[in-house]
Amino acid sequence: MTSAHVTFGEVAAERRISNIPLSHVSVELGHLYMDDFEAGRDALRRQFERVRPWAETVTQINEGRVRRPRISTCFLIDDYFTRFSTPSVVIGDLLAASEAAGLRIDYIARESGCAVADGVPLAELVHARLVPDPPPGTNGSRPPPHESGWLSNGERSPSGGVDEAMGQVAAWLPPRENAARHHSIFLDVEMWTDEGDRRIWSCPYLAAVWQLLRLGLLRDDGRPVAVPVPAPDPLPDDWDDLPAIIQMVPSAPPFAAYTTMSVLSSRFLPVEHAVRVILGQVSISAAVLEQTVRRGADENLEIPRDILKRIGYAIPGEI
Amino acid sequence: MPSPARSDAGGDGAGILIGEVHTGLLLNSASLRQDMLPAVLGLLPGERVRSFERPISHAVSPELLVGVDCDLSTASGTRVRGIGTLAVRAAITGGRVLQGSAWTRLMGGHAEHRLPWSHYLARPGVVETVGRRRNHPYHADLADGFLDRTNNRKAPGIDFGAICGQIMGEVQRSPYLDRRSPFKAARTTLRWVAEESPERRIGFILGDDGSRTTRITFDGQPISAVIELCEDLALHDWLLSTLLDVIDRGMPSDGPHETMMRRIRPAVDHLIHLWMPGARVVESLLPLWESLDTKPGFTRQWDTLVNRIRDQLALRTLTLLSASAEGVPGRNEQGIRS
Amino acid sequence: MLVIATSDKGGTGRSVTSCNVAYRRALQGSDVCYLDFDFGSPTSGAIFSIDPVSRGTEGGGLHSYLQGKIAEPQRIDVWRQTDRETLRSRPPGAGRLVLLPGDQGGGEFSMTKDILQRCTKLFVRLLEEFDLCVVDLSAGRSYAAELVLAATAQQELRGVPHRWLVFHRWTRQHVIAASGLVYGRRGLIEAGAERGHDSQVLADSIRFVRTAVVNPDSEELAGLRPTQVVWLLDCNKDLQELARQHQLGRTMVLATIPLDPVLQMREQLISDRDVWASQIANAATVAAFDQLARRIADDAAWDEL
Ligand SMILES: Nc1ncnc2c1ncn2[C@@H]1O[C@H](COP(=O)(O)OP(=O)(O)OP(=O)(O)O)[C@@H](O)[C@H]1O
Ligand SMILES: [Mg+2]
Repeated sequence: MTSAHVTFGEVAAERRISNIPLSHVSVELGHLYMDDFEAGRDALRRQFERVRPWAETVTQINEGRVRRPRISTCFLIDDYFTRFSTPSVVIGDLLAASEAAGLRIDYIARESGCAVADGVPLAELVHARLVPDPPPGTNGSRPPPHESGWLSNGERSPSGGVDEAMGQVAAWLPPRENAARHHSIFLDVEMWTDEGDRRIWSCPYLAAVWQLLRLGLLRDDGRPVAVPVPAPDPLPDDWDDLPAIIQMVPSAPPFAAYTTMSVLSSRFLPVEHAVRVILGQVSISAAVLEQTVRRGADENLEIPRDILKRIGYAIPGEI
Repeated sequence: MPSPARSDAGGDGAGILIGEVHTGLLLNSASLRQDMLPAVLGLLPGERVRSFERPISHAVSPELLVGVDCDLSTASGTRVRGIGTLAVRAAITGGRVLQGSAWTRLMGGHAEHRLPWSHYLARPGVVETVGRRRNHPYHADLADGFLDRTNNRKAPGIDFGAICGQIMGEVQRSPYLDRRSPFKAARTTLRWVAEESPERRIGFILGDDGSRTTRITFDGQPISAVIELCEDLALHDWLLSTLLDVIDRGMPSDGPHETMMRRIRPAVDHLIHLWMPGARVVESLLPLWESLDTKPGFTRQWDTLVNRIRDQLALRTLTLLSASAEGVPGRNEQGIRS
Repeated sequence: MLVIATSDKGGTGRSVTSCNVAYRRALQGSDVCYLDFDFGSPTSGAIFSIDPVSRGTEGGGLHSYLQGKIAEPQRIDVWRQTDRETLRSRPPGAGRLVLLPGDQGGGEFSMTKDILQRCTKLFVRLLEEFDLCVVDLSAGRSYAAELVLAATAQQELRGVPHRWLVFHRWTRQHVIAASGLVYGRRGLIEAGAERGHDSQVLADSIRFVRTAVVNPDSEELAGLRPTQVVWLLDCNKDLQELARQHQLGRTMVLATIPLDPVLQMREQLISDRDVWASQIANAATVAAFDQLARRIADDAAWDEL
């Protein structure tokens, strides 16, 4: 007896994950707040001048490792916490200052785009993927205790008080980092606050989404999100009319990369610690993770599955 | 910064797969329409609900992860700490039956101590044991410990039940359901272990209170195929248990027919057409299902029950016919002829 | 369906009656569970004669569950665990009868958002498996009552029928107190409306149960002096009038449970054997329990007045 080989598929049952182009490294040249902007063009240029040697070092290191490194640069503007000036003025000043300092900015992103990019609620998508770091003794019996809007790297101190009438009074205990060896560095990060109907995401939270975008790890139902678009000409007058990420240099290597490198002043250290506490608890879709690792292998590169290992910094003092 | 590839993958081979499937009735008056499934099972925004229409309506939620760090159950009582994640998902079959399914792969870990959490999230659905151990007896100890629900010397281990219960609860509380089911049914729980082996084996044990255990081997099939087999097994075991219960209660030898009908009706309307063993099982694992169907003979028992119900219903129709024939003079011949 | 048993005063017979009603309903073929929400004194295990949990369980009961210490509260199969041999093993055609006990040594606790959510989850969970969930609250305006009022107003439970039984003894004080609990300041209707209930719908889902009622015409009272009988009849008439004035007149009464000699001595389930074989309990008591068990689920008995 012979049997026919039958294939049958249903479209609604298939999960397809888009591939997106990847560079080797995404270098962040800086992060612009209103204060920095108001300090003027010269201040901006000086800042870029101080960043430049670090950016060049990244290129040198990578040239030693891979034959033709693809390195893209990017710059993030805060239009989320404070709104200032207009895109055309701010971006014009930025480009002039970086050019004067001998730096090329390939992509410019706005911070609001980390909350909602072109209609896709990125911050919420990432929030749904949080898998909290379980304190020792967690066996799934009950959902881990959580404080709405907060995420920590360990166990909080019990809040004290009495649960039941005539029950025992709880004694104070110190908080504890889950991965502590001997001593703890406990950190509790505020991810958001609600103001009426509006959820305000915190700066480290949006910065965590920013890292995920730069690593090309986010998808919406398998589709890429916050895809860079060529800079509109002329630039709009309203930030809301600007796409989440715009491409300034047509020939630039891809925005997203296997790894990221951020050149930041040391005052951002606590923010980046918080970013890592958040990112360490985001579960990346296994399919996307696999895709990146396979792509790397095709280029003969070993890409660590652990995303924290792909995120690097240069953190000089006040620059 | 990327570094050139190295070849070693680390770890200790495939490890063993352990999991649990809980099965119950969806809390809705009508069976859920196909187009509602994505809304009800969309538990992770940005991830698609997979749905199938053939041969029977079936949809699966995206997989969620749950973190654990606890002592695992071992048959010997040896302390083994496991850290990592379980995958869990919900599924709805025939718009009627809800399942919560959680699993993980137990593997020998890389370290003597706990690593940063990002390490574990990079291996979704894997629980790593802390400390290096020899391979084989150690796996058997974990598998036996996991399947044995009575041994109280051992650590309670990962609470798969709570995790399955959690995700099923989430579905049952969906705003798209009306929570008025046409009948009530107890849940069953299937605890399973799957080990990689060229030798084909399957065992199934029926316990009290709707608890079952099964132990199977697989040989190169993807993990997803193993999980689907276990879910299919759990689904049919639940159908059988529920129908048995309905009949036990609905057919006391001398009860009035109305009571019997009230009890049996929902089962006839909502369950009988759902029997489709192996419908979603990959071909290479089907022999396992088939051997289980030979002994203890799921399908045989199911057919017997269904026939019993049909006989009762036929009898009922006959009684009705003769009753109306007696009650309404002159309708006699018509009644018999039609 | 959820049936919530409450009373203003303690010792009304709320627990004993609702346990017996749960038992009767199971005998009638429904799957029934009984939740001990009397958090200050969780002793329903004793009524079901389940010795290990007679004062609550040590294995993680409703207190532990609602406070988030365990994933699911312990369930006890009454048919299997009861110490009374005559009740053990489920009769053919009967449904499941499951007790969810409180914690041993458990005390009252106030309601938080998390506790409310867990309570709602639990009700949804049980509605999947049981035709009837009987929730026995603490007496009076308690945290338990507040919790259940709030939970039944949640979106998840909106489509699910829930009915309230208010138990009271047949005395002046009890009639007035029961009325106060339902219609008074911070009573069920007012507090329920504040928590999102429609007060009319809520009011329509409340009925009263009179417990341990002495029937002046019954043969047990045949030995009374005529003056006593006249006095009893007068009192009864006055009470009827008082009840009517306080909105718990006849139409609002779902059942009247007669005084029973067995229950007067001991809190327990009354089996048919207790009536027919050993003849220690009255047939009228069992008939009243049985009828109440039927009326609980009988929409006609609850139709608007
Ligand atoms: N129909 C009855 N006839 C005689 N005694 C009864 C009757 N119903 C209940 N009792 C008795 O009344 C007493 C109080 O009953 P029960 O404990 O059920 O009341 P309760 O309202 O639940 O009290 P609490 O507020 O303390 O929980 C018990 O001793 C019980 O046996
Ligand atoms: Mg009581």
